[in-house]
Amino acid sequence: MIWLTWRQFRVQAWVAGAALAVFAIALAASGPHLSSLYGSNGLTTCHGSGPCGTAATSFLQQVRHDPLYSALYNACFGLLAAVPALIGVFWGAPLITREIEAGTFRLAWNQSITRTRWLAAKLGLTGLAALAAAGLLSLMVTWWSSPIQAAAPLLPRDANGFSVVLSRFQPLLFATRGITPLGYAVFAFALGAAAGVLIRHTLPAMAVTLAVFAAIQVAMPMWVRPHFISPVTATSRLDTANITGVEFNGPHITVYPGIDLPGAGAWILSSQAVTASGQPFTGPRPKACGAGSFQACQAALGRLNLRQQVVYQPASRYWDFQWIETGIFLALALALAGLCFWWVQRRRLT
Amino acid sequence: MIWLAWRQFRLQAWLAAAALAVLAIALAVTGPGLTHLFDLSGIPGCQNDCGQLAGNFMNALAHTGYELVFYLAVAIMFLIPGIIGVFWGAPLITREIESGTLRLAWSQSITRTRWLAGKLALAGLAAMATAGLLSLMVSWWAVPVDRATGLAAGRTGASGINRFTPVLFGAQGIAPVGYAALAFVLGVTLGVLIRRTVPAMAATLAAFAGIQIAWPLWVRPHLMTPLTWTAPFNPAMLNTLSAHSPDSMTIITGVRLPGSWILTNQTLTASGQADLGPVPAPCKTGTWQACQTALLRLHLRQIVSYQPASRYWEFQWIETGIFLTLALALAGFSFWRVRRRLLG
Repeated sequence: MIWLTWRQFRVQAWVAGAALAVFAIALAASGPHLSSLYGSNGLTTCHGSGPCGTAATSFLQQVRHDPLYSALYNACFGLLAAVPALIGVFWGAPLITREIEAGTFRLAWNQSITRTRWLAAKLGLTGLAALAAAGLLSLMVTWWSSPIQAAAPLLPRDANGFSVVLSRFQPLLFATRGITPLGYAVFAFALGAAAGVLIRHTLPAMAVTLAVFAAIQVAMPMWVRPHFISPVTATSRLDTANITGVEFNGPHITVYPGIDLPGAGAWILSSQAVTASGQPFTGPRPKACGAGSFQACQAALGRLNLRQQVVYQPASRYWDFQWIETGIFLALALALAGLCFWWVQRRRLT
Repeated sequence: MIWLAWRQFRLQAWLAAAALAVLAIALAVTGPGLTHLFDLSGIPGCQNDCGQLAGNFMNALAHTGYELVFYLAVAIMFLIPGIIGVFWGAPLITREIESGTLRLAWSQSITRTRWLAGKLALAGLAAMATAGLLSLMVSWWAVPVDRATGLAAGRTGASGINRFTPVLFGAQGIAPVGYAALAFVLGVTLGVLIRRTVPAMAATLAAFAGIQIAWPLWVRPHLMTPLTWTAPFNPAMLNTLSAHSPDSMTIITGVRLPGSWILTNQTLTASGQADLGPVPAPCKTGTWQACQTALLRLHLRQIVSYQPASRYWEFQWIETGIFLTLALALAGFSFWRVRRRLLG
């Protein structure tokens, strides 16, 4: 059964291997220079938040303006986001539906091997290959981008909007680093196989796998992931000394506090200015902020007794969240695989 | 032939219509809110230097969830041509080959050319119409965002992301129609050549992704000769000053060209050298004023090569024209191949 599975999986394995090899060469060729850029900006020897902040900003600006590194960085995102979906659509969905459409499942099920053994070999070996491919890719990308991720927490708070975008806890980075890509790949594969056994036609199964997987990937960071562990709510007073900026845009007033409550690398779920009674602050805009110095505006806002309320997941919980999310997706994958086994037992040959 | 092509294409057409309807509802629901936010931002009435208001507006989008809708819409616009090519284009012929119905179709009184023309025309026109309608909806919804990004000068002074930059260019206007047409015909051609459904789908995806990555990098900048803007170095627009080695510093300076596509932005010496020399001492330890004076003494120049915002629609039309021509050429190749060879 192992030989048969390999024989049917050969082309996909070679294509995946070739793509991984090409990407690995590109990363290996540029990785050492990225590390040396990290060192030459003084980030390995700096002390204190001031010099480290300047060095980190300079390093990240250089990376951002270098066409090769920014292209590779975006390619890492694109590949790691696409690979689980591709595995589900091209490895998972056709796994069983091709045999159903071609009728070869009757030949396979008429052999001395049991149906369970047949499905176990196909699902298990191809699933392991999916796990290995996603794992290798994630390992390569995490290794290559480690200088960038190491510089991100050192940034000063308002450096050109980098610090939020590069927080490894924010959804796009969370899904493309660490061990979550492995969970996604195995889940997408199992989803494809399950869609295949339920729909029994290749093209619709591929389309359904893609649609369902995309929907889950969008819904997960928005509605499910924030609640894995109860977020931390922290409040700080917004007095005159503490307000570093304010923006007015119609009903939306954003006050920028001087204290960074969540700390670097946290996942900020909501951050707003609230009045003393706990309601969100929606105005009215103090007269001093319309026309006048910023100091007068600061003083006026400080007198309103506002507080900054931040709901966040602290950076220390990053690996907890990674393991919880991977565990959830692996459990879902096992459930879907169980569905495939159950269906294979029930199906009649005619 | 039209009835047969429709009968085979029915399911995909209904799915596309349903997806369009869902997206239309989502955009219609959030559109008025976005316009309201834009009106309140003060940008419509502002006369000059609206950059700060535009920046505030973009930040407000981030806080209210409209930014997420925008990015989802852009992501969908980039994925749709690829999905059309993979799910409509590649299986068009290969499904018939694999199930054997090709022999039935080709042994009718209709010619092979007429048969392929019917299938290609119906699905191809549907693909272009889907992409066009989607692009229309997204472009209508994103008008406030486009106006704000066309004005915004970020703290770096660069024009940042706007509808002309590669990240957003392919998601609005008429370019998606060209992409959808090419992806579809690319799928059909690869299906005719490879003759198996799943490999043809994978090959279409790989080929189309390669085109979409290579095009904005190597071809689009040269569709029209870029303009060059040059000025003496202005320390007020300094973005980064860094030194890889003790003898050579690099300076990145912002530039204020709202709405345009910046191709290259270099700060060079007066004679055009990239080697700016060592970091001046006042910039290592000293006040910002002293550093500025020292940098001004170096007589640096900033040279920016860019495509101005006014050329946006020319680029859209040129790009769509090129992609449609490529699609027609590939379609011609498919016709030739279908007539000359037995595919079953």
